[in-house]
Amino acid sequence: MTMLNRRDFMKVAGVTAAAGAVACDPRVPMEKVLPYVVQPEQIVPGLPTWFATQCNECSAHCGVEAKNREGRIIKLEGNRQHPANNGRLCAMGLAGLQSTYSPDRFAGPMIGGQPKAWPDAQAAAVEAIKAAKAGGKEVAWLGHARTGATGALIEAFIGALGGKPLFWEPASGVASLRAATKVVFGKDTVPSYDLSGAHTVLSFGAEFLSTWGAVELRQGWAAGRDPKVGGFVSRTVCVEPRIGNTSCVADLHLQAVPGSEAGVALAIAKLLAEKKGYAGLAATALSAVNADELITAAGLKKERVAEVIGWLAANPSVVLPGGAHTAGNPTALAVATLLLNDVAGNIGTSVYFGQTSNVAGQASAQQVVDLFTRLNEGKVGVIFLDGSDPAYNLPSDVKAFDALAKATVISFANEANDSLIPTAIVLPGGTTLESWGDAEARSGWHTLQQATMRPLKDSQQLGDTVLTLAKGLGLSTPPVAAAPAPTEAAPAADATAAPAGDAGAAPVDPAAAPVAPPAPVAPKVLGLEAENFLAYLKSWWAGVVWPKAGMPGSFEAFWVECLQRGGWFQTLPREGASVVLQAAASAAAPALSGAGNLSLVLFPHPFIYDGRHANKPWAQEIPEPLSSFTWGTWAEIHPKTAESLGLTKDDKISVKTDVGAIDVGWFASPGIREDVVAVVMGNGQQRGGRYTKWGANPASLISSKFDESGELQLVQAKASVSKAAGPNLHPYLGHINTDGRGVNFAVSINDLGKGSGPASIVPAHHVPIDPRVTAAGLTDMYPEPEHPTYRFAMAVDLNRCTGCGACETACFSENNTPVVGPDQVRKGRHMGWIRLSRYWEGTGEQPDIRFQPVICQQCSHAPCEGVCPVLATYHNLDGLNAMVYNRCVGTRYCGNNCPYTARRFNYHNFRWPESFHLMLNPDVSTREVGVMEKCSFCVQRLRAAKDQYRDNKEVVPEKALLKLTACAQACPTDAITFGNANDKQSALWAMFQDERTYTMLGELNTKPGVRYMARINHVESALHHGGHGGGHGGGHATDDHGGDHGEKAAPSGAHH
Amino acid sequence: MKGLTYGAVTRDILRPLFKPSAAYFGLLGLCIAMLAVGGYAFLYQLRWGLGVAGYQPPVFWGVYITTFVFWVGIGHAGTLISAVLFLFRSKWRTGVYRASEAMTIFAVMSAALFPAIHVGRAWNAYWLFPYPNQRQLWQNFKSPLMWDVFAVSSYFTVSTIFFYIGLIPDIAAVRDRTSGMIKKLYSAMALGWRGTDRQWRHYMAAYGFFAAFATPLVLSVHSVVSWDFAMAQTAGWHSTLFPPYFVGGAIFSGCAMVITLLLPMSVAFKWQDYINVWHFEHLAKMCMLTGFILTYAYGMEHYIAWYSDNPYEWGIFVDRATGQYDWVFWTMVLCNCTIPLLWWIPALRRNYISLFLISIVINIGMWFERYNIIASSLAHQFDPMSWTYYTPTWVEMAIMVGSFGWFGMWFVMFMKVMPSVAVAEIKELIRPPLKSDEKVAAK
Repeated sequence: MTMLNRRDFMKVAGVTAAAGAVACDPRVPMEKVLPYVVQPEQIVPGLPTWFATQCNECSAHCGVEAKNREGRIIKLEGNRQHPANNGRLCAMGLAGLQSTYSPDRFAGPMIGGQPKAWPDAQAAAVEAIKAAKAGGKEVAWLGHARTGATGALIEAFIGALGGKPLFWEPASGVASLRAATKVVFGKDTVPSYDLSGAHTVLSFGAEFLSTWGAVELRQGWAAGRDPKVGGFVSRTVCVEPRIGNTSCVADLHLQAVPGSEAGVALAIAKLLAEKKGYAGLAATALSAVNADELITAAGLKKERVAEVIGWLAANPSVVLPGGAHTAGNPTALAVATLLLNDVAGNIGTSVYFGQTSNVAGQASAQQVVDLFTRLNEGKVGVIFLDGSDPAYNLPSDVKAFDALAKATVISFANEANDSLIPTAIVLPGGTTLESWGDAEARSGWHTLQQATMRPLKDSQQLGDTVLTLAKGLGLSTPPVAAAPAPTEAAPAADATAAPAGDAGAAPVDPAAAPVAPPAPVAPKVLGLEAENFLAYLKSWWAGVVWPKAGMPGSFEAFWVECLQRGGWFQTLPREGASVVLQAAASAAAPALSGAGNLSLVLFPHPFIYDGRHANKPWAQEIPEPLSSFTWGTWAEIHPKTAESLGLTKDDKISVKTDVGAIDVGWFASPGIREDVVAVVMGNGQQRGGRYTKWGANPASLISSKFDESGELQLVQAKASVSKAAGPNLHPYLGHINTDGRGVNFAVSINDLGKGSGPASIVPAHHVPIDPRVTAAGLTDMYPEPEHPTYRFAMAVDLNRCTGCGACETACFSENNTPVVGPDQVRKGRHMGWIRLSRYWEGTGEQPDIRFQPVICQQCSHAPCEGVCPVLATYHNLDGLNAMVYNRCVGTRYCGNNCPYTARRFNYHNFRWPESFHLMLNPDVSTREVGVMEKCSFCVQRLRAAKDQYRDNKEVVPEKALLKLTACAQACPTDAITFGNANDKQSALWAMFQDERTYTMLGELNTKPGVRYMARINHVESALHHGGHGGGHGGGHATDDHGGDHGEKAAPSGAHH
Repeated sequence: MKGLTYGAVTRDILRPLFKPSAAYFGLLGLCIAMLAVGGYAFLYQLRWGLGVAGYQPPVFWGVYITTFVFWVGIGHAGTLISAVLFLFRSKWRTGVYRASEAMTIFAVMSAALFPAIHVGRAWNAYWLFPYPNQRQLWQNFKSPLMWDVFAVSSYFTVSTIFFYIGLIPDIAAVRDRTSGMIKKLYSAMALGWRGTDRQWRHYMAAYGFFAAFATPLVLSVHSVVSWDFAMAQTAGWHSTLFPPYFVGGAIFSGCAMVITLLLPMSVAFKWQDYINVWHFEHLAKMCMLTGFILTYAYGMEHYIAWYSDNPYEWGIFVDRATGQYDWVFWTMVLCNCTIPLLWWIPALRRNYISLFLISIVINIGMWFERYNIIASSLAHQFDPMSWTYYTPTWVEMAIMVGSFGWFGMWFVMFMKVMPSVAVAEIKELIRPPLKSDEKVAAK
């Protein structure tokens, strides 16, 4: 046998290895990775750049910080300097990211569904407008609310064409409140609300913790919930027919008959006026009110109402009106609440003017329906659609889709929607992140929207398109000489100075301009002749905002500062108002029309809102907090009503009114009146994108009826419910309450301060170590593992948690959580790392709904770690329960053994359709099929923080950790606090020592890194009464455990 | 066994080894077809991910682990009968032990499929074995799943060796009746067995040694399997009762399976002389005993859950009996506790039809027992918000059917190539041939 020599061996081995390498099919296809040839100045690979911009997901226009990684925005966070949200962001705002990367985005302009080049498409639009004008027809604009320079430009453009744009927010309820404010105070605006000082928050269906208003309202509410902030814990009283995403926090829920709310408000006002000896002008309006009659008519108990009146009389309060989705008479209700606020002495304090919402340009639903009447009559030649989807939002009797076909539709839509008729001229306006813009949603709060990334598609920002069309049409408005630039001497301009959104048409009120020293530069506000939208925007800011700011120096410096800050925000003094009462207050409940034994109520979806976010998979997949339904439309029915109708949990139902019928899922809500059925809006699009294929449109159940303000009445019809073919939606949460288990606790407000040390006022038989063990001098058999520098941990104050879903959305965005779709959700394979548990402990008047975001508890003695055969999950020195995806074989034993069921398994290779993959966070790996995953405490953010401080050999300070995780960062009510439990000086540690802090399933002694602070209920002391939810499902034997509460709390000696 | 001669024994028992009938091929074909169905389902699952199974988190385990435990349980009776009863010198084992041992080995082989089938990344299942690798990765020996890997593989190794040792004299007998290539094969397997006294002496020592060696494994393997559950803190699993309860259940199901398999064999091959009512009655009595242990365990589980005053534990047991899974629970009670009581009537445990039917009922009941433990506990974990309901899909059922095909295929092939009754041991039981017999015969 010849020996193989070394050289030959090398040759053979080399060839074999090369052949093997070539022949192997790598699981991931190989792609070339190229470095930048010329390094862009702002981009450091691996480090994000943050841009301040604005959120356009609703009309509140909060400030946003957009995280740009290598040229793409991958996450949105609240702008910490913006007064509307102070660094936090709601679920809708966070999901706004998905509109940019939507797989359904149009590649470019289209006419009749055919792709066109921009010049051709714009030329066609110009021709259409010219033809309309030549034929003497109207050129209409229907869009979402626009203010600031953007609004001004649109008003100038449509104004030059002889019209006025209709800015319409279908579910905002602004029209009725505005009309009511006019009636009561003679002001054409809406008041602002401050909840932070209110001991009693009395809401008549206002979704102030959900879809109504900016994040600021939630922050105010949360401040009132924290005994350590204001020294009190506010009561939330809700008067409405159902429990919604705001009234879920209610301490007291008065289930008034739908339509009777205005009467209840007037009755309370009357009784309160009597109690307080109020003698204001509102008293005259109340003199005719028969309080007892109204309370009885509403089906409420007098003593309950008397209690509320007592609270209102004793302490500061705030009364909020619901929009059209609570009552059929929203204007009368708003009038009544404003009067009640006046009686309660809230005007000028918790209900104030001065810095009010900028609603001047907003149209009512009636105006929109009038436009459609004109469309049907052939009087409209061209209609611009900017975000609005009237064919979805308007009742079916308007036949909006057919009406649109009678004009040329020019749409700025980036994606398909129900109103996009086949012949439409589509000029995609680009998304918020790709375009310039601004807003002044509240007077004095000028938010700047900067283009934070290149457009993904061949879109053109709306402003540029409008200017191009204006040029094509030969429109021009004369440039306006604006206020002179400010100097040092010039004080901040008066609040009422610049009528925002009017720059194109009129000069800024000269009276407001500072008179003294002449301006160094004379900025002028450009008109429609502006070269491009950015030039227009800058000139408007130079002419309108800069003078108000009174900032010396050059405008460029001001501009750059505004860009960095996200705008320019002026705090205006709060103003009161005196009652003028231009019309009589009415308590008359409108009659509901049609056959059927249930009153129909429609309400906006907390994430999909009025339907505008339906094509965002996050908005669809994150379970609606109360029903925990996803992907579809459902109705809320009281369990008793359902029982009498013979419905089972698996049935789909049909909701039928005289106008129409829809088949939907249903949720047995213990919080709804037995004679009411409530249907969620937002789903059921006919011609929307790929994520809108589920559910039914409840607008088909109602007809176009308006109240006196022109607000569409969403409570107008009687409905009947029957069983329908098909399955119900699948709830993500498996049960309605805690079932007496040690997962969630509430404490009585009367017990606050009675405990000493952690968990001293929560029920004792759920503490990690049985007190009898410690009493016997024994210690825990399982000491803490070693955590030399950090023990990362989290405290969640459930008293602040409103179940808004912001943490879940932020987590999806930060951690590349896949969306699995309705079929997989039906199998419970939701991948969200946060399960927002909803424990509905009470029924009737005291709903006692407790939300609890459950994530991986990062246990020091994690049950999951021991059982993994391949050590894919282990405890690290930072206290994290680390998960090595690549090592995971997928035995799922960890998932079985996690008592918190915090683990998620990749049952399939969940994919991100083009171009959602561009949205992925490059710091987080995506997980392949067969791998377990779970909350990592945003380990990538922890790494980044540690890296930053390690350079200086420092420990990450508390300040940098406090809001480090994506959920804590997003939480609008600051319920989540993150930190290092090794730092005994930290706020986190202080929270851990709080008497209401407990660990979930404490008796298992898993030593979790996540601890919860029990919700505070306004109930009698619970310490001696079993504590939570009225008794223990497990049936504790009295002789065994009767002494537990006492023993546990014994060290305090406070209550024996 | 009066009147049997050595020659007759060899002839009778080795008869199935020659000239298989069409029915034999039909049976083998059926088994392979079932296996093919399971194989297809497994490939389908590999392609699309574990999501094609019905898992409904937090029910992370389902039919696969149920069937795994079922097969491990079946695998119990063989070694028990061959080793433990051998040590106790129980005579009735002789007729049934060979087939039971074969059943054991094939059952363990069926069980061994499931850990690989059920993991999320089947292509990485070998990571469960400690093997030297340049990534310096090692296993977690704290995990009961690791213990499982060792318990099942040691059990399989020892049972196989024990089985093979028992076969040697019989293989030699087959060798002596074959020719050509086949003879060479059997010669190799017979390891030069000539039946000398010296060989017999060594043989008996080795057999005794392995019997003693296998006996603790009978107890250990299912105890360890039960720790997969008992070591977890999931309510309904976390119980010290599990090891004896599982071992009892395993013997129960194993003995029932022996009846299910051997009864048709004995009839089909006309082996009434070797396997008959006497054997089946003993097996039925084993089932009665272990079934009683099981019933006691079920009762005790509920009693302890109630007595512990642990709401999670008690919640599970109430839910099992009255919740969505009540049909599983009551199927289990009916099949394992109630119907086998019929065997207390002597006539029914001596009747082939009732023996066969009740043994099948027991097997069904034991499958449902594991399903009851696994699915209902996971579906009702600590936090009520995670409660759910799990229903298997066609993929899981097809793979389970496939495992029966896999088991059947091996067993049917075994019947063809090896004597299913221990020839040599049967011969020990009959009167040795004497010179005088020839005279009697001559007369």
